[in-house]
Amino acid sequence: MDAEPGLSEQYRMASPWPLFIALGIPIAELGILFSLFPIAVGGLLLFGGSVAGMATESGYAKTPWRGLIGVAAPLAVLGLAFMFTRIGLPNRGLAIVAAAVILVAAGVAGMLFSPDREPTY
Amino acid sequence: MEVNGQLALTVLMGLFLVAVAAWLARVENWRSYTPVAGGGAFGQKDSYGSEEKPSGVIRWLTTVDHKDIGILYGAYGLIAFAVGGLMVVVMRIELIDPGMSLISNTFYNSLLTSHGITMLFLFGTPIIAAFSNYLVPLLIGADDMAFPRINAIAFWLLPPAALLIWAGFFPLPDVIPAQTAWTMYTPLSTGAGAGNQANAGVDLMLLGLHLSGVSATMGAINFIATIFTERGDDVSWANLDIFSWTILTQSGLILFAFPLLGSAIVMLLFDRNFGTAFFSGEGGAILWQHLFWFFGHPEVYILVLPPMGIVSYVIPRFSGRRLFGFKFVVYSTLAIGVLSFGVWAHHMFATGMDPRLRASFMAVSLAIAIPSAVKTFNWITTMWNGRVRLTTPMLFSVGFVSNFIIGGVTGVFLASIPVDLVLHDTYYVVGHFHYVVMGAIAFAGFSGLYYWFPLYTGRMYQKTLGKAHFWLSMIGTNITFFAMILLGYGGMPRRYATFLPQFATLHQLATVGALLLLVGQIIFVWNFVQSWLEGPEIEDGDPWNLRQSGLYTAEWDWFDQKQQTAIADGGDPDDETALTDGGHVDEPADDRSDA
Repeated sequence: MDAEPGLSEQYRMASPWPLFIALGIPIAELGILFSLFPIAVGGLLLFGGSVAGMATESGYAKTPWRGLIGVAAPLAVLGLAFMFTRIGLPNRGLAIVAAAVILVAAGVAGMLFSPDREPTY
Repeated sequence: MEVNGQLALTVLMGLFLVAVAAWLARVENWRSYTPVAGGGAFGQKDSYGSEEKPSGVIRWLTTVDHKDIGILYGAYGLIAFAVGGLMVVVMRIELIDPGMSLISNTFYNSLLTSHGITMLFLFGTPIIAAFSNYLVPLLIGADDMAFPRINAIAFWLLPPAALLIWAGFFPLPDVIPAQTAWTMYTPLSTGAGAGNQANAGVDLMLLGLHLSGVSATMGAINFIATIFTERGDDVSWANLDIFSWTILTQSGLILFAFPLLGSAIVMLLFDRNFGTAFFSGEGGAILWQHLFWFFGHPEVYILVLPPMGIVSYVIPRFSGRRLFGFKFVVYSTLAIGVLSFGVWAHHMFATGMDPRLRASFMAVSLAIAIPSAVKTFNWITTMWNGRVRLTTPMLFSVGFVSNFIIGGVTGVFLASIPVDLVLHDTYYVVGHFHYVVMGAIAFAGFSGLYYWFPLYTGRMYQKTLGKAHFWLSMIGTNITFFAMILLGYGGMPRRYATFLPQFATLHQLATVGALLLLVGQIIFVWNFVQSWLEGPEIEDGDPWNLRQSGLYTAEWDWFDQKQQTAIADGGDPDDETALTDGGHVDEPADDRSDA
């Protein structure tokens, strides 16, 4: 152990995002498996939003907006594959695509309308 | 009606998301993100421990501190242990009598399935993660895990996993518990045939199991990254402690085993819901067994290696000497890790597979006895002529060695094809693996819980109760599971709720043993909770007098420093209102009410 107590307090020891990432995954899985459209969309939104939030919080991104679009892209591909390939699960695919569209919309809206100045203290 | 249901779900989901967003906005001050991201640079250099964290329940919901997450894992594991244990108490009471008396046969099957999955995935893996999360960063001199947030995600996947696995027992309309046994053999688990296993309860259980696998994999990646990259300057591969070695090996096994389970479960879910035929077609049953056991056998070592690490860590401390043959204990850990992927088909000797394949799996299975025996002999030689102190953690570790020998030797017999063909699917197998899972793995868990009790609670447990817990567990384990081995010799098949009257005496004996175990665990819970709340406080950083024999280790050093720091700044943990953790300074009223 390092002899300096307090060294490990240089970073945040609390984050609200992991809990919601972890909740988003099972909610989305349940929604997709049982074809419950709103549950699937809601779970994916919770997951995607929390991933973007956590990326911002931990310093990997300055704002969550691009992160939202980043999460949406693979979801859109998956959803479209569900709808238009031999997988043939159009309802579930539509839910995944819908979640991706909402995430992209939120990301674009964030980029356009949120103040991009650094906050002052 | 259909539209109304959808609408209601949409509204509920929307409300839930709005509530989450509102809560997040309250907890997180969005404008507080700064490059320093934390309170350390704001002049709180002398702060220690929990002062950077929010207070109350919010602290536990949002923590990314490895020690807090370790405690969460521990609490979770012990709750799951209680649930799984109470399930089996009901089953054992049912088995007092040869016929169907207390519960229905189908409910027995449900309990049997859930008991296995709960103990392996919701107790075994998490209780190990409790130790590794709390201790590995302290032992290797790291500030925290390599990915603290991933660590938190891995933990928070587990409560939903438990709810899904137990969902069939909840009063949900049209959902019944899975009755597939923990091996989920197809075609039963594909929902084929006239049975009731096409029920959504099985889907929910599979989803829960999948989640727990995702959680374990995330944890494993985190431990590998932490042990490789976050070691302190003075910690090299040569002096890495034995517990971290076993966690590293275990994480490697998880990395190769759990994703395969996840894929197989997804394929099974597809078979059940989307009309695929991975496991329902010709050869599907054998395919499932191969995939399942390719995961399932390494899972045994995933569960046993870290407990072996705990025992290798605890035995020397109370023998007054260093671990005998340290290097060979590490080599045997690695050897078991590698060999564990070459033995899976010994679970399938009775399936009619190619005899040449069968023989090769027998050879590797027998070979795995060698590194296991290396460990056993090293534990014994560590104690040999040592200054043995029979404290509760030491008793549990010695109990581990004793039970592991019986569990291991019965396993060597099962690895032999001709013996296996006789004993396959009998209680002998149940006795064998319970000697390892309860007699060894759970014992090592208790050993660790008692040994580090002062470290994570700052208090001491009650020694007499600890010893009562040990002796009841030791005697209970040996009565219950030795009776099962004898039942197996007699030909009693496993998994049945009813049996022929000739097996009644041994079954009753096993039930007596299980009830002894129950009494022991009730004493444990009492001791654990009461001592945590009211036990005598530890003031010395060396509660086990390890310095005297030169066996002092890094985690106690950390504990000692924590004690001293607490004394140096007045030791008043309540005085922590005005610290900066993402905006809490603005709401002193809230903090005060929680403090």
